[in-house]
Amino acid sequence: MAHPSQLGFQDAASPVMEELLHFHDHALMIVLLISTLVLYIIVAMVSTKLTNKYILDSQEIEIVWTVLPAVILILIALPSLRILYLMDEINDPHLTIKAMGHQWYWSYEYTDYEDLGFDSYMVPTQDLVPGQFRLLETDHRMVVPVESPIRVLVSAEDVLHSWAVPSLGVKMDAVPGRLNQTAFIASRPGVFYGQCSEICGANHSFMPIVVEAVPLEHFEKWSTMMLEDA
Amino acid sequence: MSLAKPAMRGLLGKRLRFHLPIAFALSLVAAAAFKYGVTEPRKQAYADFYKQYDATKEFNNMREAGIFQSVRPTGE
Repeated sequence: MAHPSQLGFQDAASPVMEELLHFHDHALMIVLLISTLVLYIIVAMVSTKLTNKYILDSQEIEIVWTVLPAVILILIALPSLRILYLMDEINDPHLTIKAMGHQWYWSYEYTDYEDLGFDSYMVPTQDLVPGQFRLLETDHRMVVPVESPIRVLVSAEDVLHSWAVPSLGVKMDAVPGRLNQTAFIASRPGVFYGQCSEICGANHSFMPIVVEAVPLEHFEKWSTMMLEDA
Repeated sequence: MSLAKPAMRGLLGKRLRFHLPIAFALSLVAAAAFKYGVTEPRKQAYADFYKQYDATKEFNNMREAGIFQSVRPTGE
């Protein structure tokens, strides 16, 4: 989860998020390059009374300030397209989970082998125990096996929602009547938080997402236990 | 002895010829500083983290700390 006054991204917990982080650093470096140049030129031009009223054209500078931005755009586009295609790779998921958005909770269905489904409501602030995070905890978490490609099919039962987990680099709109697909691999075990990312009514801020990545044997025990409890 | 005639033309051009190379150089320095101060250390930090990462050990530590819902600490 994010910590107070955090400016940057959360630590990456999936390979795709790591790539997105590095791409963002690359793009920010280019932004810094352009901003420094422009700021220096603005200060240099504003701090003089010298003018030239008779400039009509200059082929040389026109060529420079056409070619240079084109080169910069290519330097941004190539890594960007690389990540875009990386995210769309055929990834042969080990598990498919359906995440359905409701007003105002998520429900998860694990129907690959048996019929496991449960709702995931936010834990109200007054019910939190010490160590839990306000507005982020849920009563039932989406448990996944670590280091396995997971496919998530996202949809909604009423209005638009969006299933997002920043540290996994995942965000997918939940549209009623439509099945959207996304995928991720949790690189390490842990608990990863997200929040609904499409305005959906009064409690839009109070339907968080919690993904728990555990080793496969523990995932299997958990899913067996959940089926027995159902 | 008469004074040399001062430069009366091309003053803005002279200022531009002085400042523009500095502007370009400074912006390249800023980009290089960001690349070697932020980007490369971050890539290295992630590589170092996963080089020695023991998922089982970390999982057990997290489990005993009680942060998981699906797996309780041993003894519970």
